[in-house]
Amino acid sequence: MTALVRARGLVRAFGGRRAVDGVDLDLLPGRRLSVVGPNGAGKSTLLRMLATLLRPDTGTIELVGHDIGARAQRARPHLGYLGHDPLVYLDLTAWQNLELFGDLYGVPALRERIPEALSRVGLLPRAHDPVRTFSRGMAQRMGIARLTLHEPTLLVLDEPYTGLDAQGARLLDDLLAGFSTGGRGAVMVTHELTRAVELADEVMVMRAGRSVGRMETAGLGAAAFADRYRELTS
Amino acid sequence: MNPAMARQLRALLTKDLRLELRTRETAVAMGLFALVGMVIFQFAIGTRTDDATPFAGGIIWATLALTAVLGVGRTWVAEREQRVLDALLAAPVPRLVLMSARAVALVLYLLAVQVVVVPLAMIFFVREGSFADLGLTVVVCLLADVAIALVGALLASMSVFSRARELLLPVLLLPSLIPVVIAAAGATHAVLGPAHALDEYWRYCVFLAVYAVVFGLVAFATFDHILDD
Repeated sequence: MTALVRARGLVRAFGGRRAVDGVDLDLLPGRRLSVVGPNGAGKSTLLRMLATLLRPDTGTIELVGHDIGARAQRARPHLGYLGHDPLVYLDLTAWQNLELFGDLYGVPALRERIPEALSRVGLLPRAHDPVRTFSRGMAQRMGIARLTLHEPTLLVLDEPYTGLDAQGARLLDDLLAGFSTGGRGAVMVTHELTRAVELADEVMVMRAGRSVGRMETAGLGAAAFADRYRELTS
Repeated sequence: MNPAMARQLRALLTKDLRLELRTRETAVAMGLFALVGMVIFQFAIGTRTDDATPFAGGIIWATLALTAVLGVGRTWVAEREQRVLDALLAAPVPRLVLMSARAVALVLYLLAVQVVVVPLAMIFFVREGSFADLGLTVVVCLLADVAIALVGALLASMSVFSRARELLLPVLLLPSLIPVVIAAAGATHAVLGPAHALDEYWRYCVFLAVYAVVFGLVAFATFDHILDD
């Protein structure tokens, strides 16, 4: 079985400080991994490397069977990346944004797919309004529509619940639940320990650029994990 | 360029034009800047000489080069300010397509400015211009715009992650445009000037074409690496 993510010995430094320092990571299809840790632990840097936005100084990453050092472009169609922000153009309408990203990802039957995607996130009535006129929560839901339009195999999510309204949070919960099937998977950085346990199959704890603990969430309650997290990060 | 890349290029270009139509932040600012530049030159030179024709080529291209700096400086601004750059870079778009879309958009903005500025400059500074001269000037504009856009898109993309990009970009771009300004001003002078030196005009045009091809090849060879961290 081809791993969705296979990373070995990842190191990335900024100005002499190692933000990520020798991290190994594997994610098999049907699995969801939460990455937690205090501020400055290197979570977002790790995620940006997995999203092909940063190259590691040393180490290798294979995404969906493609070595991204040599063939990042082949891995990118399989990735869906969402950060703190919706990553859409505020001055374009919701429809125009999805049209753009649909074309960039080569999505077939785009005219049918766009209303479906907007309907899923409850934004179809606002399809032709500029995203700038949306509330923060609506804009983040727009980001979810962009994220899922091309049906990615691997979700790479960096604090995706930031700014989401209740409807958006439910949508994202459901989306992540769906990524435990069909050969898909997800890696999510979050500060919310409860969500990290409830929405993932595994949790990885990072501190000072290193992975200091990795555990299955099955049978692990949020309270027990919070205790374990404090031990690992103190 | 395969059909998938053509679709991506068309989508990126449509996006740029839609953003410009909605915000009017680039072409309109460039147009106003160029107009003000022309008026300043008219007061500084046009009113102090009986025949400013020998200076017309230089005035036009000095103004357009500075206008181009303004336009190139706006490149990637929407992506940075609206934090979309990560989504574009994570998408399966060859970096060369990203740069080509930027370059084509810049050519269109420059042409939009020139539609207003070049005829105005002919009225201000050229004593006996003709429609044939204007036609030959259009060829110079097209060649120079492609050269400016390729260099501009390349340098704008190189400086996109730099914190000092507002300072860095003009410092890098203006010296790079000196050969374009010299050749374009020379070609324009050759066709608008009293000598009407067509041989000289074509030599400058060939130089502009070669410059564009060279920077096109540099962009082709390097652009995949420029935006990849």
